[in-house]
Amino acid sequence: MSQATLTASRARHTLAPWARIAGLAVCALLTLGPVIWTVSTSLRTPAESFDLPPKIIPTSPTIESYRGVFDQIDVWLLALNSTLVTALIAVGQMITAGLAGYAFARLEFRFKKPLFGLVLATMMVPLQVTIVPVFLVLKSMGLTDTLLGLIIPAFPTAFGTFLMRQYFLGMPKDLGEAAMLDGCGPWRTFRSVYAPLATPGLAIVGVLAFNYHWNEFFRPLILETSGQNYTLPLGLVSLQGNLGTGSISVVLAGVVLSMIPAVAVFVVGQRPLREGITSAGVNR
Amino acid sequence: MTNTQIPAVRPQQPVAEAAPAPRPSARERGTRLLAALFLAPTIVGIVIFTVVPIVGSIVLSLFHWNVIDSPTFAGAANYREMVNDSTVLVSFRNTLVFMVLAVALQLLIALTLALAVNGRMPVWLRSVFRSAFFFPLILSAASISVVMKYLFNQDFGLVNWLLGLIGIAPVPWLTSENSAMAAVILVYVWQQFGFSFLLFVGGLNNIPKEIHEAASLDGATGLRKHLSVTLPLLSPTLLVASVVGIINALQVFEQPYVLTNGGPGDSTRTVVMVIYETAFEQLRFGEASAVGVLLFVLVMAVTALQFRLSRRFVHYQ
Amino acid sequence: MTDSHFSRRSLLRYGAYGAGAAALAGTAASWDRLTGADIPGRDDGSLVVATLGPAYGPEAIRTLTEGFRKSHPDIKLRINAVQATDWSDFFAKILTQIAAGTAPDLVYVATEGVQLFAQRLGVALDKWVKRDADELREYFADVHPSLVESMMYEGSLYQLPVEFNAADIYLNSQVLKRAGASFPAADWTRDDFTALLRDMKKSSGSQFTPYFWTNRLWGGVVPWLFANDTNLLSESKAPGGAWLWDSFYPAADRQGRGGGYRWTTPQATHERVEEAYDYLASLIQEDLCTRPEGGNGQNLIGVFSTGRVGVTPAGGFWAGGLNLAGMKPGSFDVQYFPRWRTQRMQFGAAGYALLRTSKLQDEAWEFIKFASRRDTLMRLFETNQTTPARRSMLTADRYREMGPSHWQVFYDTLDKFPDTGPIPAPPQVAEVEQVLLKHTGTALASRRSVAPALRRMQSDLEKAMERDV
Repeated sequence: MSQATLTASRARHTLAPWARIAGLAVCALLTLGPVIWTVSTSLRTPAESFDLPPKIIPTSPTIESYRGVFDQIDVWLLALNSTLVTALIAVGQMITAGLAGYAFARLEFRFKKPLFGLVLATMMVPLQVTIVPVFLVLKSMGLTDTLLGLIIPAFPTAFGTFLMRQYFLGMPKDLGEAAMLDGCGPWRTFRSVYAPLATPGLAIVGVLAFNYHWNEFFRPLILETSGQNYTLPLGLVSLQGNLGTGSISVVLAGVVLSMIPAVAVFVVGQRPLREGITSAGVNR
Repeated sequence: MTNTQIPAVRPQQPVAEAAPAPRPSARERGTRLLAALFLAPTIVGIVIFTVVPIVGSIVLSLFHWNVIDSPTFAGAANYREMVNDSTVLVSFRNTLVFMVLAVALQLLIALTLALAVNGRMPVWLRSVFRSAFFFPLILSAASISVVMKYLFNQDFGLVNWLLGLIGIAPVPWLTSENSAMAAVILVYVWQQFGFSFLLFVGGLNNIPKEIHEAASLDGATGLRKHLSVTLPLLSPTLLVASVVGIINALQVFEQPYVLTNGGPGDSTRTVVMVIYETAFEQLRFGEASAVGVLLFVLVMAVTALQFRLSRRFVHYQ
Repeated sequence: MTDSHFSRRSLLRYGAYGAGAAALAGTAASWDRLTGADIPGRDDGSLVVATLGPAYGPEAIRTLTEGFRKSHPDIKLRINAVQATDWSDFFAKILTQIAAGTAPDLVYVATEGVQLFAQRLGVALDKWVKRDADELREYFADVHPSLVESMMYEGSLYQLPVEFNAADIYLNSQVLKRAGASFPAADWTRDDFTALLRDMKKSSGSQFTPYFWTNRLWGGVVPWLFANDTNLLSESKAPGGAWLWDSFYPAADRQGRGGGYRWTTPQATHERVEEAYDYLASLIQEDLCTRPEGGNGQNLIGVFSTGRVGVTPAGGFWAGGLNLAGMKPGSFDVQYFPRWRTQRMQFGAAGYALLRTSKLQDEAWEFIKFASRRDTLMRLFETNQTTPARRSMLTADRYREMGPSHWQVFYDTLDKFPDTGPIPAPPQVAEVEQVLLKHTGTALASRRSVAPALRRMQSDLEKAMERDV
């Protein structure tokens, strides 16, 4: 960097705190704007949906659109399916990532590095490339058009394994060494020393899994053929109506409804989620 | 803060390199057994649902297969056809342009906001900002793209209306080759930047206060402090953010699919869209697999390149 | 408890055990849901019918299933409402099912896919139609021969049309009034159309588009090509089909009928095609319409119903859609597409296609007949989500509460204009459609870009049509 730019940047100095906070507030508003618009439009009648400037606080709010959603799709069945799929994937990923992460962090064995590389490499494979062969594999297992067909392939998680490895690496090493000196075998060391400390890390994996798979569209679209097996995002498509003739308010009401569980998990799991993403970058 | 490193970049802990004993002890055998058991679910799952399908894709890329008739061997024909197909070539260019701009913008916004949030302010306010910037990440990309399509409409959309307030003429966001990619990038970055943002917030938290104070004592302030002190310390986080950002950006699908369906012309058609259209709409699974294999190679290459470059630019403390 | 640390720890542990047990119990309880074993008619030899999800809500599925059970208690039926936003999306999913070996017996197919399915996957219905001719006489008498002909391929019939939509022009009455314009006459011309758009633009200011259209195969550029007496691909008719026309239609209706359409040589650089694009480009230049958006026209109902768009091409399916969007009858109306060199219009139709892989072909034929019965369609199309293929169903009664007041236009598009035909959809339709949409997007950037874009379209179409699907 040249001396001139340095001087220039020094001249700009730090922004006044109030200006910084005001700037952040504008950015936050821009970030949440589309969400606010969605919620408020879902509470307005279709006739008012395109008004400019938008009535952010509807003058005569109506839940008619929400009633429309329940009339047009079987929300409860779709929500049950989504919940089953998402919850089981989350639990499954917590187990696979917890175990594999521990192995990669704290156990010594041959081919550790190539195996870890293999796990990370799966992050780079686009879903669309493998979906047809995956479909054929599931067919040979008799799992096409079942919820299990969505769940089981999602158990291994590269990012989750990576996270849990980081998490276990972050734990003090002497704990395990002390246990070993006390005569604990590798299993006991894991079971009674490290595993109990892993709960927050596992929560992160669970929340991330929930967040991703709750909104998942492409896999269910290709894999589930019976209407009874649809998840919420698939069901919402029918709100768009025959050839796009659905009411925009109803479409958005559907979007808001499907957002609720994700928001709930976000509120409850915000801390672990934030920590999870944070710890991915840093090995404490 | 003695061990800030990206494990994928750096070798394992020194213990890993311990010289193998001639005969494994009972404890070592126990460890290996445990490792095998622990890894089994992940590795078996990856082999069945990723490795086998990838091999399947590579095999499929050597055949013509329309799903209905049995496959016929094509040799390299699918690859030859691919490099002569202007749509495929344009889609690779689009994807790379998208990747560079989206990731750069995403990192820039995320870093700026992370630095701003890291400054002095009430705790509750900081937590409000963090939640707000993170929020779009929990939404479904497909649903939110439907919403964005309304907002970016040239005549009736909120975006142009807002721009109109500050005197900017309506932009044909989704219907002009010049601006469609910009719209897709904006929508994508809007949803994704929260991820890098949180990474940076975490990274900044881990920079010890003393370093900042020392820098301030040396007379470094504001931007200069950030450029010369904070950034190098943040470089490992920057690497992770850009690696994850690039891997995701190279696979972008929902946003262009919903917003523009790849148009106008081919201006927003991405590689994954081409794969989807070739396979599932035109029933040319062999050609689609060939494009998929090339994309896979590209992702690997870009990631490898990144790690190479990172050796020069990433500072470990 | 004295050791609070211990108690919390054990509490956590018991909590974890409890959660684990609950998860196990929940999984066990929902096992049938997870494996799909609770879906009636699964893997039990039921007749499986795949329909387009958004067009068939739970109500419609009940109507079909229960009605069919009443008339055929011996045939088990399962309807899969496949979720897709558009026909190409829908076909993609059906083809994936076929690839996986989980093909349905019957698929609901629109004009977009008729020839694709007929050529590669379908079974001709000829033998059953001939066998049950007496039973079907009433059906054919009620359905326009153009619709039937659009479901024929190389002399054989592959589907019985149950619905169709022609691209007519919808007009917002409020916008008309604001422009001081009167409702256009049935024989209005392209120039009348342009003049109307100008009037609308003058009276409505910004945040308003007189003419809005979506870039797609049905209702995009194609209506203008038809009006200018041309087509994207050269159109001819296959020989044959006399077996059907002779036994079901009077001599007057047999005139010029054949064994289905053939779309062959691309003619994107034909001067009349170029003329149509030039015209659209000039409308854009004059700000009378915007460059078309891609996709399935989701925005359209909303912006039209709120008076932000003056006119747009749509079919009978819009009557129901506009009603949903809160438009009252009288606040909109419908007229034929304007005349240019001719007033030929375009439509798309849909019906059930029988797949070759089906082991229940006779049962499937029974369903096809059931699904085209008047009483079935009456219940199915109560909300006017489409135009019924049966002429007798279009009555003043049907449209009284929803509008439009010129509802006769829907079927008269066929009856009064016997040359009105289906959108061009050869077996290579997926690529043809993509090429059309792609180059239409670039062609309309300016008037100068029309010719080069059409040249590229032509060469891409030639490549697409050469390909053996």
